[in-house]
Amino acid sequence: MAQVEISFGDLIASSIHDMKNSLNLQVSALEGIARQCRERQDTATVQDLGRVIYQANRMNLNLVELLSLYKLSKSIYPMDITEQAVAEVIEEAVQQNQSMMEFKGITVSTDCPEDCYWYMDRELVKGVLVNALNNAYNYTHDKIHVVASVQDKRLELRVEDNGKGYPERMLLNQDLGSEQGVSFETGSTGLGFYFSDQVARLHKNGRKRGSLVIENGGSLGGGCFVLRLP
Amino acid sequence: MALTLRRASVLVIDDFQGMRTMLRDFVRAMGVTRIETAHNGRSAIEHLSANRYDIVICDYNLGPGPNGQQVLEEARLKNLIGVATVWAMVTAEKTPEMVMGAAEVRPDDYLLKPINQMVLETRLSRLIARKHVLAPIEAAIKAHNYAEAIAQCDLQLKAKAAYPQEILRVKSELLLSIGDYAAASALFESILAQRDVPWAQTGLGKIHFHARHFEEAHDIFAQVLSEHVVFMEASDWLARACTRMGHDEEAQQVLQDAVKISPNSPTRQKTLGEVAYRNGDLDVAQIAFTKTIRIGEFSPHKSPSAYTGLARVQADRNEPYEALKTLALSRQEFRYNAEASMLTGAAECAIYHQMGQTERAQEVLAETEKLLEKAAGRVSAEVGLAVSKTLFAMGHKERACTVLQDVVRNNHENLEVTESVEQLFNGQGLHAEGQALIAQSCSEVVAINNEGVTLARSGDLAGGAELLRSASAKLPNNEVILINLCGLLIARLSKEGKDLRLASEAREVLDRLRQINPDNKNYHIYTAALNRLMAPK
Repeated sequence: MAQVEISFGDLIASSIHDMKNSLNLQVSALEGIARQCRERQDTATVQDLGRVIYQANRMNLNLVELLSLYKLSKSIYPMDITEQAVAEVIEEAVQQNQSMMEFKGITVSTDCPEDCYWYMDRELVKGVLVNALNNAYNYTHDKIHVVASVQDKRLELRVEDNGKGYPERMLLNQDLGSEQGVSFETGSTGLGFYFSDQVARLHKNGRKRGSLVIENGGSLGGGCFVLRLP
Repeated sequence: MALTLRRASVLVIDDFQGMRTMLRDFVRAMGVTRIETAHNGRSAIEHLSANRYDIVICDYNLGPGPNGQQVLEEARLKNLIGVATVWAMVTAEKTPEMVMGAAEVRPDDYLLKPINQMVLETRLSRLIARKHVLAPIEAAIKAHNYAEAIAQCDLQLKAKAAYPQEILRVKSELLLSIGDYAAASALFESILAQRDVPWAQTGLGKIHFHARHFEEAHDIFAQVLSEHVVFMEASDWLARACTRMGHDEEAQQVLQDAVKISPNSPTRQKTLGEVAYRNGDLDVAQIAFTKTIRIGEFSPHKSPSAYTGLARVQADRNEPYEALKTLALSRQEFRYNAEASMLTGAAECAIYHQMGQTERAQEVLAETEKLLEKAAGRVSAEVGLAVSKTLFAMGHKERACTVLQDVVRNNHENLEVTESVEQLFNGQGLHAEGQALIAQSCSEVVAINNEGVTLARSGDLAGGAELLRSASAKLPNNEVILINLCGLLIARLSKEGKDLRLASEAREVLDRLRQINPDNKNYHIYTAALNRLMAPK
């Protein structure tokens, strides 16, 4: 009998494929139920569902981040920095999280010129934005603003909120790539920041590299997540 | 009238019932009424054969049978979808195939899961808008009218269409195809003045390659790869450059690294098999050919040489029965393909000979030679080389030389082919004889060509054309003769005015030329000239 060769990489890929299908169906079904609840004005259930959808989205995000980091570490991630319409990337990241934002009554606004093109790996940068939106979802009061601008030959992507801002110790310790510690309160394992920081660094142009910082203030006076790409 | 999403007819292809229903419900909620679904590659092809769709949403992963990419390739090859059809490929994760230049046939876009209705609707609307811009360019490319395609690109660039760089990239490929290297080079340089973009760097490498500056090309491709590991196009070109420089070992290493990242290209796996076989690395060659066959199983582009390659490896391993089994599979797979029968026959015959089954070997050889005769010169160099190699092995030196003579005559300006012929002779210890045959065959063709051109220059266009016409009948695969014949026909048309008979002959010649070498730059120049001459006033 001929032996069927199965590589670990193939196994991971097909498992992730399967899990993402399940999550996709789960979220889609939950959104359908939420719509019905809203029609009969069952606000309490809608809010509960929002939290469940948020958790499912986080799980999906973690899967994407883990798989990308695994592939990046093995140098098999298909990194592909090409010119992208920035407004489209932002729009998709926002739309991916739209339902859970609505359930919590959060308004997400964006500000990016239609003809703003920049070089990036579309999927990785979208992953960073989705992660930042997920964070902001936790911290914000009720508003999130995503702004893109080109400054000093760098694209600056900012995700700002009107919450209390990041705690002092996080701002002081800006080495975001390092272990942030597990927090069951916010559900943060540091994976999101680590992933985002790696993605920023992988965007190179000549000698310049991308960077990631968090700060407080911005147009909404809360936390700001700032990704700069050369 | 421009297509709108609501009026579109949509096909959803997914093997997973839940996803299929979800996608269908999303599309339905967008107001689309004409939606059909298919649950695997085969059923997808049936649907695509029976109906025309404006939008196809297809999962890459379709379970057993063809995958999404293979369904797309078959649909394009058999014209089941038009240039205006939007094809969105759904995948669970980013794959190397999604990187530009990794596959020749590409969907219009990739959609990464998870997908919700809003994301899908936005993406489809954008794709329809983009199709509006790109369809005229794609239509001209499909009609092999590259001059028109370039004009369309310029039109869109001037109109400031979205994604200008994508249009520039398409334009650069067209410029390379028609052999306008100066313009292509200027385009690449202008992009590179802004930023190091891998496709533009690779483009400059290709220009060096075409100019036979293999070392410069090699260094550029290697540089691109050192910075963009997954830019597979650069690694395929790097391997080609290595081979042309005689560095087959480096070529093998480059390809082995490439298949680690992107294992699913049958062409890349087959090239690896061939290079490894030349290097005597039977293990790597065997794995590569086996993999080529496996991933090509449902591909419309599968090739018999993966089977003959594997059989050769098995024969060298002293496993003739395994080799014959492989070739039997090839016979079954390519039942109606004469080229494949000849390739398979040549390989079978060599194995029977090796096994000492002389009678059986003679029988297969006779069948193969009969097919070759029937093809009357219209065979690829690959077949000629394979058959003559077997003839040599069986001691029929003279017949081998006759076949090789035809190979050289049909490809007298193709250095890759003449080098292969030379190598074949060298392998038989017939270095001097090979060189003489190549020189003799080339000079014969050059003489006929020159005679035709001289007649034409002296004003006898009809006489020159007649001479080349009869030369072409004897050497139907010779590109240079075809090109010169076409040039004379066009010269007559331009001098004597419109003549439908001459024009249709010129078109036939051009079609023939395209079949032999779709990248012949004169093909595009003459097609444009003929279209101009025959255009209604």
